[in-house]
Order: sequence, then structure tokens, then C-alpha cells
Amino acid sequence: MDHPAIRYVVVVATAVFLQYTLITQFRIAGVSADLFLVVAIAAGIVAGSERGAVVGFVCGLCLDLLVVTPFGLGAVSGLVSGVVAGSLEGATIYAARWMTAGIAFVASGVGILTFAITGALLGRPDLLSFHVLTVMAVVGASSALLVFPAVRVCRWADPEARLPRAAVR
Amino acid sequence: MASSRRGGRSRITISLLLLSAVLLLTLDGRGSGPIDSVRSAVLTVLSPLGGAATTVASPFRNAWDSAFEQEDLKKENDVLREENDRLKGDITANSIAKEQLQQLLQLVGIPFVGDTPVVHTRVVSGAVGNFGDRIELDKGSSSGIERNMPVVTGEGLIGKVVEVGENRSVVALLSSGTFRVGFSVVGTAAIGVAQGTGSDGSLRGANIDSRQAVTVGAIAATSGLAGSPFPPNLPIGTITAVRTNDAALESTVDISMFANLNDLVYADVVLWKPAG
Repeated sequence: MDHPAIRYVVVVATAVFLQYTLITQFRIAGVSADLFLVVAIAAGIVAGSERGAVVGFVCGLCLDLLVVTPFGLGAVSGLVSGVVAGSLEGATIYAARWMTAGIAFVASGVGILTFAITGALLGRPDLLSFHVLTVMAVVGASSALLVFPAVRVCRWADPEARLPRAAVR
Repeated sequence: MASSRRGGRSRITISLLLLSAVLLLTLDGRGSGPIDSVRSAVLTVLSPLGGAATTVASPFRNAWDSAFEQEDLKKENDVLREENDRLKGDITANSIAKEQLQQLLQLVGIPFVGDTPVVHTRVVSGAVGNFGDRIELDKGSSSGIERNMPVVTGEGLIGKVVEVGENRSVVALLSSGTFRVGFSVVGTAAIGVAQGTGSDGSLRGANIDSRQAVTVGAIAATSGLAGSPFPPNLPIGTITAVRTNDAALESTVDISMFANLNDLVYADVVLWKPAG
């Protein structure tokens, strides 16, 4: 149970359970929070873009198992969100709560846009409608809130991870 | 130096993951069986949890909905009251019209589902993702449901079954654009292919011979041509716009679905499979 990979499996499994049973029930404008993206972003913030990419990829695969969009779209989206979050966190000079929330908002937005654009390129033009803007706004706002507990959970999963900031590299 | 090595390894990892995702997308695009099997297995495992959670969370969800949609609910309530009053008056007229409609449908060959057996199901959950293109039903393979079977409400076609667990099935909604349906325009020889636009209840029909006279208000129903996954004559919707491209000898149409996809509670799975 001490290995980060095992702990991350527990984190992702919990995210699957909560997303499937609870989170999807509570929607604003037909859109619910996306725990898979939140976990990917939190992993990126805690341990950098590489870890964010791996966790995001796995989280995305879990989403792909639960929806009927092309299998792999969620993986690409999660991966991109994790990488963006890790890169932005690594580029910041100092830590601030508003900055963490901002990174979560931007990273989730980029992830959703990636999902929609890749889906459109793969023959699902309906994914790239105005609905994407609503999804980006609601998921972005919810990610900005949920990222704080998620970062704590990821620190528990990955206690050794310390992302060097731009100022100290 | 160490930082540069770490950056190089990181780029390799990210590239490999990206390649893996592309590979999965390619396999799925080619219709990989194992992926479908895994999705069905996950559905079977998670569905009891989903059902229980829906029941437990129901009061909280209602409170949430009323908090965030109070204004919408008020408006909807007013509209429903008005509609209720109007409908009371229409009931008598409708009972006469219904009989006439049945005769008309038989005359033009639309017996709706006819004698084909159906499985009555309850919608237990909506989309897990945010691109609401699926619903989950409370019955599955144990009730005879199979993949690609059409799903209807009393108003018309709403989608098709895309995943089946033992006691759950997942339906891709017609409006989502995940699949196409061949349709014919009732009263004409026009046929075409309709696909969802991603917005509720709206479809776009294409590949219609422009020499066929298609008018706004005409009814579109499944064509059921050979190889189609849908039986013929399932009502789809009303044509709301017609555009003709004379150069291409092709018309496109907008179709407003009969079935209301919001707040679906019950749906019927038509136990129908294409011949062969």
C-alpha cells in the first residue's frame, strides 16, 4: 500500500465510484463536474507533467469505459489536462491558492477542448458545438474548487513528489 | 543535467502515452470486439451501484435541481398549467383524431412497432460524461436485449442499444450524432440519411434526391432498407426545413424529433434484428 502506483489505483478507483454514482447526479445546465480531469490535474500539480500525463491517461481510460464516445478520447483529454497542469505549475514562481484554482480551470478547459476537437476530427462533429463552452465553464469552475482536496489526496498518494518551481530550478 | 535527462524521459513517456491513445482510437474506429466486451463487463459491475446511488441521492438531487433550476421550473410549471388546460379540451377531439390517425398510419403503411415484441424499461441514469449522448436502462441481456436494437418511446425512435450488461443496457441517443439512420418521407418516395446534430431533438437529413417533393411538415420515419439496423416505419420526426442544392441534385432537411429526450423516464427496446 506504500507504493505510489498502488495508492493512485485506489485514488482512481474512488474517482470512478464517485463519478459514476454521485457526481453525475448533480448537474448545472446539464453539465456535471469531472472527477477524472480533477485527479489528472491534481497529479500534474503535485508531481509534474509526466505523472499528470500517466494519471490523466488512466483516468481518461476509465471515463472511456463509461461513455460511448470513441474509446481513447477520454485518455487523450486526461493526458493533455495532466500535462498542461504539470507544466503550468512547474512554470509558476510561487504557490498561491488562486493560482492553483486558475491552473485547474485552464487545464480542464484545454482537456475538454481537446476531447471535442479530437472527437470532431474522428467523425463526431456534434461534439464541437456551443455546448462545449458550457461544459468548459461548469467543469472549469468545479475543477477549480475540487482541485484542493484532490491535491491533498494526490500528496497522500505520492508523498515523495516535490515539483521544483521555475525559480529554484 | 539531471533536469534535462528527466525532461527527456518525461517527453518520451508522454509521447508513448499519446501513441497508445491513438492506437486505442484506431482500434475502436475499426470496431474492436474486446473494447466492447470490457465496456459491457464494467457496465454489469457498476450498474447495481448506480441504481442504488440514484435512489439514495434522489432527495439531494431534487434539492440541487430546485436550487439551480428554480426559475426554469417556475416557467415550466406555468407552461404546463396552460398546456394542461388546453389538453383537457383536446382530449375529446384527440380520441376521434386518434382513430383517424390509426387508419391513416395503416393506410400509408406505418404500424409503428406493430407486432414486434418490445421490452418495457425504466431509464435509470443519464450520461456519465458531459456530452450527453447516452442513457442507461434497467434491463439487459437477461430480458432478450441485444446490441443495435432500436429504442422507442410512445412518440417515436430515440436511439439504439450500444452496450448490454446482464441487467443493464446503454442507449446512444439519436440526437447525439453517434450513428445515422436511414429515413423515408411519408407520402413520397424520398429517402435519405439522418444524423443528430448534438442538440436535443434536432437531426439533419441528407442524400435526398432533389427531384422528390419534400415539404416542411412532412413526417420522417425509418426506411428499413436492406442492411439497416432499424425496422421500417418507426416515426422519427417532422421536417422543419428543406434546402435544395440543384447543382448536386440533392436536398437536405432539418428534422425535429417527435420524442422528447429531456427527462426520459420509460423507454421500450424493440426486439428486432435485421434479417441475415
